[in-house]
Amino acid sequence: MPVASSLSILIVDDQQTIRSLARVGFDAIGIGEVIEAEDGEEALKLLLTRKTPIHLVISDYNMPKFNGLSLLRAIRAHGPISKTAFIMLTGRADKQMVMSAVEHGVNNYLVKPFTTEALKEKIEAVLGTLT
Amino acid sequence: MDPMAEIRETFFQECEEQLGELETGLMRMESGQTDSETVNAVFRAVHSIKGGAGAFGLEDLVHFAHVFETVLDLIRAGRLEPSPEAMRVMLRASDALADLVRAARDGSTTDPVRIASIVSELRQLTGEPDAGDAEDDDFADIAFAAVPVTIETEAALPPGWIVRFKPLADLYAKANEAGLLLRELGRLGPMRVTVDAESLPDLAALDPEGAYLTWTIVLDADCTEDMIRAVFEFVEDDCEIQIERNLPADVAVAASSSAVAADAGQPSDDEILALLRNAAASVEAPAVIEPEIVVAPPPPPPAVSPPPEPEPASASAEAPAARNDAAQGVGATIRVDLDRVDRLIDLVGELVINEAMLSQRVFEAGLARASAVMTALDELEQLTREIQDSVMAIRAQPVRSVFQRMPRLVREVATMTGKQVRLLTDGETTEVDKTVIERIVDPLTHMIRNAIDHGLESTEARLAAGKPAEGLVKLTALHRSGRIVIEVEDDGAGINRERVRAKAVEKGLVSPDAPLTDEEIDNLIFMPGFSTASEISDISGRGVGMDVVRRSVQALGGRISIASRPGKGSTFTLSLPLTLAVLDGMVVSVDGHTLIVPLSAIVETLQPRSEQVHTLGVDVRVLAMRGGYIPLVDVGAALGYRAMPAEPEKSVALLVEGEGGVRAVLVVDGIQGQRQVVIKSLEANYRAVPGIAAATVMGDGRVALILDVDAIVSVTRSDNLRVDASRVEPILMSAS
Repeated sequence: MPVASSLSILIVDDQQTIRSLARVGFDAIGIGEVIEAEDGEEALKLLLTRKTPIHLVISDYNMPKFNGLSLLRAIRAHGPISKTAFIMLTGRADKQMVMSAVEHGVNNYLVKPFTTEALKEKIEAVLGTLT
Repeated sequence: MDPMAEIRETFFQECEEQLGELETGLMRMESGQTDSETVNAVFRAVHSIKGGAGAFGLEDLVHFAHVFETVLDLIRAGRLEPSPEAMRVMLRASDALADLVRAARDGSTTDPVRIASIVSELRQLTGEPDAGDAEDDDFADIAFAAVPVTIETEAALPPGWIVRFKPLADLYAKANEAGLLLRELGRLGPMRVTVDAESLPDLAALDPEGAYLTWTIVLDADCTEDMIRAVFEFVEDDCEIQIERNLPADVAVAASSSAVAADAGQPSDDEILALLRNAAASVEAPAVIEPEIVVAPPPPPPAVSPPPEPEPASASAEAPAARNDAAQGVGATIRVDLDRVDRLIDLVGELVINEAMLSQRVFEAGLARASAVMTALDELEQLTREIQDSVMAIRAQPVRSVFQRMPRLVREVATMTGKQVRLLTDGETTEVDKTVIERIVDPLTHMIRNAIDHGLESTEARLAAGKPAEGLVKLTALHRSGRIVIEVEDDGAGINRERVRAKAVEKGLVSPDAPLTDEEIDNLIFMPGFSTASEISDISGRGVGMDVVRRSVQALGGRISIASRPGKGSTFTLSLPLTLAVLDGMVVSVDGHTLIVPLSAIVETLQPRSEQVHTLGVDVRVLAMRGGYIPLVDVGAALGYRAMPAEPEKSVALLVEGEGGVRAVLVVDGIQGQRQVVIKSLEANYRAVPGIAAATVMGDGRVALILDVDAIVSVTRSDNLRVDASRVEPILMSAS
């Protein structure tokens, strides 16, 4: 049972609005550290260069340049970070897209817009009940 | 501000950006660029608006964006052709989406009938009468257990830290006490403290103010590293601090070895890009084109994904392009409250004034001959100027945001007038002050309406004149001699000078026998009370004439003029200052007062000879110049500094040009020089004074008034400027 305050979560979305909304949710849940990235490239750079681990990536699917699926693939393909938990944010419940994300090893999905409860539920589905 | 309100504001800001992207992308698609990147950018814009709108419960917006998005999704998947008909519907949909966004922001309402009709048109495109793309939220059959999550090792780490704390002499010198800090640390949890006094020298060698002790604290607290750092926050520069996790031996080894691995593999930007590109290449190709294939065979194990996929040709061709895009896109930006920028600009304005004052004091003190002082002053001046330019650049924005609104306007006006119009824009990246941008929207909107409504002929008339049926309106922005110039050009019939003149005579604006040049006739349309439309149409009318356009442009320190070629079209030219905060001015003396005349208005300076000056009637004087007569204005008399006009031949004359090319000669006592001045609003600090545009503070600390050349020039035509400006300066001085 992970302690919420010891978790580091990376939120990746090209919209500041969504990143800020997620942060409000994370704060309410009591997540210890929230890091933001605007796109897949910035996210991967953070994952690879940080000294302390990031436990969970919540990434938008549709972003300019590299989309969420590319980010997921890149994470899964890179040894040191390949085990990072990954939740895909999607704007529409597109089953086919979620299916292909599952093929690439996504741990769950979250449909925008989300409530704090939904956010917590998905995080717990991946990491276990938060305390 | 409440955080949700703040996020909501961010959302609407981002919506504006996305609406811009949407418009740009759709225009690109309309011109035949239907590559997947463009289509996806358009899709993403609508998709993002929908996503954010949902979070704020903006149901109308979500619903509309959803239908729109469905159409775009079909195009993206290649299942719907972006035909001209489809493009027309989508352009209308983007206009409607913009209306819905603004209605949501301002709490206003949109026309539900119009929205509903666009929704049904969009649905016709998808071929599904109902919201066919019902969201399938039943993922119960999908198992999300693909990758085990190794959060446990991290969470299972025994809580506890080892802190090594070595105060430096400065820590004690600043009256901090190690014992108090340790007590503070003890509040985080139980701790064991050991002191290391190894480096304590013999008493003889001991510096009483030195620091020799090091403490090692084993802290048995379940806290974050940041919480420990916070204890030492105020002394962090004056001590050495090491914080590490108190790990059992085996975990410590594992952790350190993985740390080494991570360090060795510290990737460069290129490697990160390569990783992503490989992932993108192997993901996107099948996912977009043949979705079935992705689901059917098991995916290759991620770890062994071969870097170069088949299709080496296309991959290598695209790689540099993607690289470039990435490099350009990375430019980091921050959002800053405009008030903060304006505060900075104000302060820099003060700095410019202070620099000028300092330089004047140095001269007065007779230090000017000391070359080292002069060099330093020159450098200061240079630096001040650069700071000023840089600060101004913060407020500068490309005119794109204004230009982006125009295609929609053109579509609307074209539909209302039944004309075919094509809009060309050029120079969208030209930058200008944010305030200027905001305030040219209305004049520009009006000019474009005017160009289509009055400038362009009807389709039949165009065909009869041997022109293409589609009329052309060109919008151009460029920088020219420190100003921004915006041109609105049409290829219509040009100004009907006969009609304009007849109208002006009928309205009593000019006398029937006035000798007017073509240029003067063209500029009559800017006169108050003039409107060529025989009835005020809803399009260019809205009860506003070109005189209002001119007035709003003038209020920005701008000029507007028209050049017309009969049968070929007209060009309206707007010239505006790049910033509203500084001005290049000529410093002149009038009856002991110092005034600033904007340099942009001055055509030339001259020394009048007595035979050039002629008196007409009682008190109107003109100056004979190059075969013509130009009215003389005595600035001192016009501003009420003196009752009797000065003798022109003992004065200096400035030939100035006001709006519409109206010229006058201003008579002043002398010229002090030229300088850049910081504009201080008179309205904000005192009140509006006719004949005076603003004020500034000079190097000697005195207030100088900036002349409103247009108002002064208008004195030559009417006698409405009767003001006593002599009282303004003392009031401003005492107020400042």
